Amino acid sequence: MEKDKNVLEIPYGTRDFLPSEAASKRAIETKFAELFAEWGYDEVVTPTIEYLDNLTLGSSRSSEAHLFKLFDKDNRTLALRHEMTTPIARLVSSRLQEYPLPMKLSYISSVFRYEQTQMGRQCEFHQAGVELMGSTSPFADAEIIALAIQGLLRAGLTDFQICLGQVEFISGIMEQYHLDADSKAKLKLAMEQRDLVALDRTVETLELPETAKTVLKKLPVLSGGEVMIKKAYDLALNEQSRRALDNLCEIYRLLKAYGVERYVRFDLGIIRDFSYYTGMVFEAYTPGLGFPLCGGGRYDHLLADFGNACPATGFASGIERILLALERQGLARPVRARDIYLAYAAGKEAAAIAKAETLRREGKTVELSLASQTQSEAETAQLAKGYRELVYLA
Amino acid sequence: MQSNNMDYLTIALPKGKLFGLSAELLAKIGYTAEGLSDKSRKLVITNEEKKIKFIVSKTADVPTYVEYGAADIGVIGKDVLLESGKDVYELLDLGFGRCHLMMAVPKAEKRAKLTDYNHTRVATKFPHIAEQFFNRHGMQMEYIKLNGSIELGPIVGLSESIVDIVETGTTLKENDLEEIVSIQEATARLIANRVSFKMKFDRIHTMVNDLRKILESEAAK
Repeated sequence: MEKDKNVLEIPYGTRDFLPSEAASKRAIETKFAELFAEWGYDEVVTPTIEYLDNLTLGSSRSSEAHLFKLFDKDNRTLALRHEMTTPIARLVSSRLQEYPLPMKLSYISSVFRYEQTQMGRQCEFHQAGVELMGSTSPFADAEIIALAIQGLLRAGLTDFQICLGQVEFISGIMEQYHLDADSKAKLKLAMEQRDLVALDRTVETLELPETAKTVLKKLPVLSGGEVMIKKAYDLALNEQSRRALDNLCEIYRLLKAYGVERYVRFDLGIIRDFSYYTGMVFEAYTPGLGFPLCGGGRYDHLLADFGNACPATGFASGIERILLALERQGLARPVRARDIYLAYAAGKEAAAIAKAETLRREGKTVELSLASQTQSEAETAQLAKGYRELVYLA
Repeated sequence: MQSNNMDYLTIALPKGKLFGLSAELLAKIGYTAEGLSDKSRKLVITNEEKKIKFIVSKTADVPTYVEYGAADIGVIGKDVLLESGKDVYELLDLGFGRCHLMMAVPKAEKRAKLTDYNHTRVATKFPHIAEQFFNRHGMQMEYIKLNGSIELGPIVGLSESIVDIVETGTTLKENDLEEIVSIQEATARLIANRVSFKMKFDRIHTMVNDLRKILESEAAK
């Protein structure tokens, strides 16, 4: 049947979660949901589709190429959300103006991006994250990072690293050498493309003293602990870059209070894909996964783009990436308990239904046979389905 | 195999002309292993003492190994890297393997300006780079992807022009082709996986600095 050829296919970049995979995904999501609730974050749900103009507000133009677009019946361009920060900024600006600040919101959602797909990078994927709105304080940033770390720990990961940077540091350094807009754009592009060769070459074309050139070339490799940050103060010649470092030191001091500093490393060359970040930014990495597990940062101007200025900070974790990392690191993924298979002899339906109800109330997972079985049929079924225990009503 | 073992640094090297030069340069900073050869039947060659693994792969696959994190580090020509469009760190220009990507046409068919070739067919192994180049010039071309002997395209009437890499220009001459525009200079680059560059930063950073010193001292000679 030629015309039915593609009924078994699913669109590029999407996937099915089979029962055991769906169970693992749900278990991770539940852990995040519980954690967010414990920290006082309220869950919100936003539409899967938004107006294109809303989603591209505050992002660089290049992100538009990664959006799934469609038209509504009035020919307005819609897009599937590619991340959750922008929809939540839209929601807060339009619907939650009366809500007392600071506002703490969380989400667990699917998002969509056109990507060259590979393991752990699909076009449709799931994110758990939070947004904290209404505070410029480093305390808010530290809470976000500590919460991201707790999330990864609770998901079962033990070996990961957070790289923490500050976009104002790089901007400040460029400012202190009075670079023109064109040169700044070229340097930023080279850094965004992670092309350190192009960065070196661009710096060489600038009319700057050798010391300044050395500093600019060094930007992507300013990575290390507290010692590195102390040294970075020698490079910071203006208020903007010094303030960025002060901000990072203050966040780090608070992360020590949370007792999570061993997961954190400074990385002043960190580059995030979204252009709306204005302050601290971070990414989490784990061995065996070629891309970040989780990322976030401060975005103080995004809400102003929607008409209501409000500082904000947040993070998102990729659920599929966490699952993949757990699998690759050989860490047990949580699986559903299969407690009891309940079977019964002919004529015992009513008793079996009552028994199942009692066991379920005790918190047991119970599968009730759909038809009467002999004891030996029941034993075969119990083993085939992987239940720990058989209860048989003769 | 995943390079998720934090103790080892996995390096992907391309078979062919870049292999010898890469292995030689890396050996100068102590990155080598017994039996490292692109003729080896062993696909992974390990130096247990220094905790280094080498993968020897087909040239075009090096950026893929590195992007996936199957290798932490790789050596690859800028031409292949650009064409692959992979998201990796480009750390260092190694200086060797110099060539350039250019557009060439049969001498007899040469036209006055580049834009006179608009809406013609171009045979190439590098359709992405070619498309970006022609788009920048506002030209629409028909790209015919070939995997080798690109010069054959215009000779057999498959295309009006070619976009290919040139080292000496001998092949062009032998086939009565003439370069009309240079598109991109290319040399071998050291690339790194974006997570490896962060998680194994100290080791990779030291490696880059050591290589840079060798390259600078050689350039000074």
